[in-house]
Amino acid sequence: MSIEKIKISEALHDLMPPEYQDMVEDATYGNQDRGWKDIGESKELIEQHSLCAGCPESIAFRYILASLPAPENTVFVGSTGCTSLVFPMVAVHNIHSLFGNQNAVASGLKRALKIRFPDVEKDVVVLAGDGATVDIGLDYTMQSWFRGEKFTTICFDNELYANTGGQESGLMQKGFVAKMAPVGKLFDKVRLPEIARESGCHYVACLTVSKPNRVEKVLKNAILVAREFGPTYIQLYTPCILEIGKQSMEGLDEMKDSEAIGGRFVFKEYMTDEVKEFLKQKDAEEKDRKKAAKLAAKEAAKA
Amino acid sequence: MNKPVDVQNRVLKGYSNVQIGEKSKYKDTQTYTDPNFLFNEAEVTPAFMTGSEVIKEAIRRANIDLSVAYPITPQSEAAALIGELYAEGYMGDYFRGENEFGVMSQCAGAAFGGARVFTTTAGPGTLRAFENFPMWAGSRLPIQVCVTMRGVNSPLSIQPDTLEMFFLLETGMLIWHAETAQDLFDFILKGFIVAEMPDVHLPIAVCCDGFFVTHTKDTVALPDEKYVLPPYDPYKSPVVCMDMESAPVRMMRDPFVMKSNYISYMTQASWQLEVRAAIERSRKYTKALIGDLIECENIDREIIMIGSGTAVSQAREAIRLLGLDGIPVGLVKIKTLRPFPHEEIAEALKDAKKIFVPEFNVAGYLAREIKAVLPNNDRVVAGPHVAGGMTMPSEVIADEVKKALGMKTSGMTARG
Amino acid sequence: MSDYKVVPGPEAFLPPAAAMMGIELPDPGEGHIEGRIVPEDEAIEHAARKFLGAKVPTIFPGPQILWHWNESAAIKAACVREMAEILPARLIPMADYRPKYPKINPEVEINPNHPNLTIWHNKIDVCLFVGVHCHQANLALKIIRGGTSCYTMAACGMSGHEDACLTIRDVHEDTLRKLTACIKKLKAEGVKSQAEPFEQFRFSREDRKPAYLT
Repeated sequence: MSIEKIKISEALHDLMPPEYQDMVEDATYGNQDRGWKDIGESKELIEQHSLCAGCPESIAFRYILASLPAPENTVFVGSTGCTSLVFPMVAVHNIHSLFGNQNAVASGLKRALKIRFPDVEKDVVVLAGDGATVDIGLDYTMQSWFRGEKFTTICFDNELYANTGGQESGLMQKGFVAKMAPVGKLFDKVRLPEIARESGCHYVACLTVSKPNRVEKVLKNAILVAREFGPTYIQLYTPCILEIGKQSMEGLDEMKDSEAIGGRFVFKEYMTDEVKEFLKQKDAEEKDRKKAAKLAAKEAAKA
Repeated sequence: MNKPVDVQNRVLKGYSNVQIGEKSKYKDTQTYTDPNFLFNEAEVTPAFMTGSEVIKEAIRRANIDLSVAYPITPQSEAAALIGELYAEGYMGDYFRGENEFGVMSQCAGAAFGGARVFTTTAGPGTLRAFENFPMWAGSRLPIQVCVTMRGVNSPLSIQPDTLEMFFLLETGMLIWHAETAQDLFDFILKGFIVAEMPDVHLPIAVCCDGFFVTHTKDTVALPDEKYVLPPYDPYKSPVVCMDMESAPVRMMRDPFVMKSNYISYMTQASWQLEVRAAIERSRKYTKALIGDLIECENIDREIIMIGSGTAVSQAREAIRLLGLDGIPVGLVKIKTLRPFPHEEIAEALKDAKKIFVPEFNVAGYLAREIKAVLPNNDRVVAGPHVAGGMTMPSEVIADEVKKALGMKTSGMTARG
Repeated sequence: MSDYKVVPGPEAFLPPAAAMMGIELPDPGEGHIEGRIVPEDEAIEHAARKFLGAKVPTIFPGPQILWHWNESAAIKAACVREMAEILPARLIPMADYRPKYPKINPEVEINPNHPNLTIWHNKIDVCLFVGVHCHQANLALKIIRGGTSCYTMAACGMSGHEDACLTIRDVHEDTLRKLTACIKKLKAEGVKSQAEPFEQFRFSREDRKPAYLT
């Protein structure tokens, strides 16, 4: 939304619950330096959520919402699952329609927004679970990559169907015993990052959400690359502590274990040479901008 | 009704998002034209073309933003012709989807983002896409899909069959059924206007019988191609447009309302009713644009045939044949299945002694719909119906009548 | 002609949509009172009288005027504020449409998924929806008529609402001013507001409770 549209009508301002007043005054819409470090210092774009206590998905959501380069011009597309219980509380327009069609919806949405707002960069971001991305929606996920659709796909990989009670999914590791895998899953975890790389994604990253800096950087990369080049893909390990038998406080340890050497979620990042060059340039520009801003602040303080 | 609705003098409200007479955003040889003028006053010239070409000509004047295509007989030609329009600059975007489920979801995405969207499908494609249709309706997306109906069950058939329209009836969409090429042209253009009314704002399926309409040539009266409908205005929608340009900013389309408490059930239930209410609201606009929801000929006669689509054309010829044998028969053509013209049908058939319902499907569902709105419904003969693309010769329909009258038939009576 | 009347509930476990009972929406220049089509001015005067005769008259401004997303929205918001002050009426916002179960504070907000909570809690007997998207307004109006005895009115920027007991359509700033003027006129003629005394709540970011609770 053009940032100036996110304000409360003056005549009715004092009726609005403070959470909305905060959203207008203290949220970081339009701030090009926004990032995960704003959490705790500014109003977050997520009001409340009904996820389980300690669910890593909730922290992933918060990092992502804090790190979007332009939330005022972003529309999310979600799918059925735990994420869709959070989305009503998110202060960015978002769509849930069916289970598994998220990349198809995003394809139509991105094209419509491009037609309607040819001069504004409207970011479309898909955020769905692994069942939606890899099982029921795999066709639509991959076909959007084949077509070169210019949006980012984020998969919250918790290696099972959490919202329906812990059934086997394609991203579950081999041998794991779960509902619908009564003798253990019989085939390997689907290698979607590699599939994404081969299917036309210009930037791919697979990681856990244990390191907010890294989540922020990867998300910004993915969205900037999607604007310029085409599809990008991020797979985030957000373990379902409930279904793997962990305590609320054990999510972080689970993620750290799985990203250690030899783990399933050792950080990996693929990008084309063109993208590498582009991101290098963007980083340099960012650095220069921040340096100039710092200098200007110093000058202003002197004056 | 709480008031008699004057449909004769109903003038559609002008569009406020553009100036009438302004050049089209897409094609500068076209100007935004007041729909009242385009439909009622613009000079028309006759053209002789296939139904697929008629779809193209309607879309040329419809000012759509986006169309998504996928090949399936018998709509492939129409879908490809729309691609030609895109190449000529008549719309903002066009592409081939991966299958009909994907296509209808892509259409949904574009409509959520405030675009006017058109697509086509047929038979098994309609069924593959099916999960999307009640979602479109629940989400109040005014997408238009042209359904060129064909057989859906195994063994495979590409021949005309109207069973898929039966499946569509309770999706919450508007369902119109074109008999002729002219109907098809008119229904497509007028369908956008009705579907996009703020108090209706529902998806619409403009159905026609595959091959009989899509692949035969017919004469159709076309207004000049310099005229184009004004664009869709997403800010007149009864729901929030998902473009981050509309309040409120904290908005999900559409959140789950299924927590296990009574209050959420009320939301779900009221939502369902609201979609049905919106279908009801479409009646007055539909009547103003396409005339009464049924068309009647000689309904003072004791025997009446009633149907929709090309079954009506066949019935018309059967009535001529029966006339030669001295049997007078009246005719009722149903133009919209949703909203269903229950009052109109009950009125038109109030004095009929025998009512015949010829249908191109094995189920005879239209006869059931009609029986449900008539007193003394033992007057209704659910037939003849054929299926699987079998043709329904007019003689078969005439024989059905003669058999019911205890007369000698030519032996062609068929029951699917 | 349908003899269905859109009167205050509680109508039914699941009230029907008035459109399905044969209630048509008004045409431009018209409104409806309990399903009866009347000239707009008559509907406006009836609304003013209903408001003045109510014990707990309440206006529910919706997102389309609560948010200053275009200039017209801000002007309409000011018109609504003025109306509330002149009546007087409570203002309870519908800031957005998300299901907020079970955390809603019915004293200070209304939500289209369970609007009846706000009606019950505040014992609202006459209410006006303004600036709510038509779809969500209809959901809320049906739920209110299903389970409460509140008289519902809807000032709609589009085609109006059959599910309200009274509606006016194509509402813009001037229509709202007209309603306010009508209230003033009635008061000048001696029609007294029957509203029970109340204090309009106010929020600020520092003050996270309604002002009258602190």
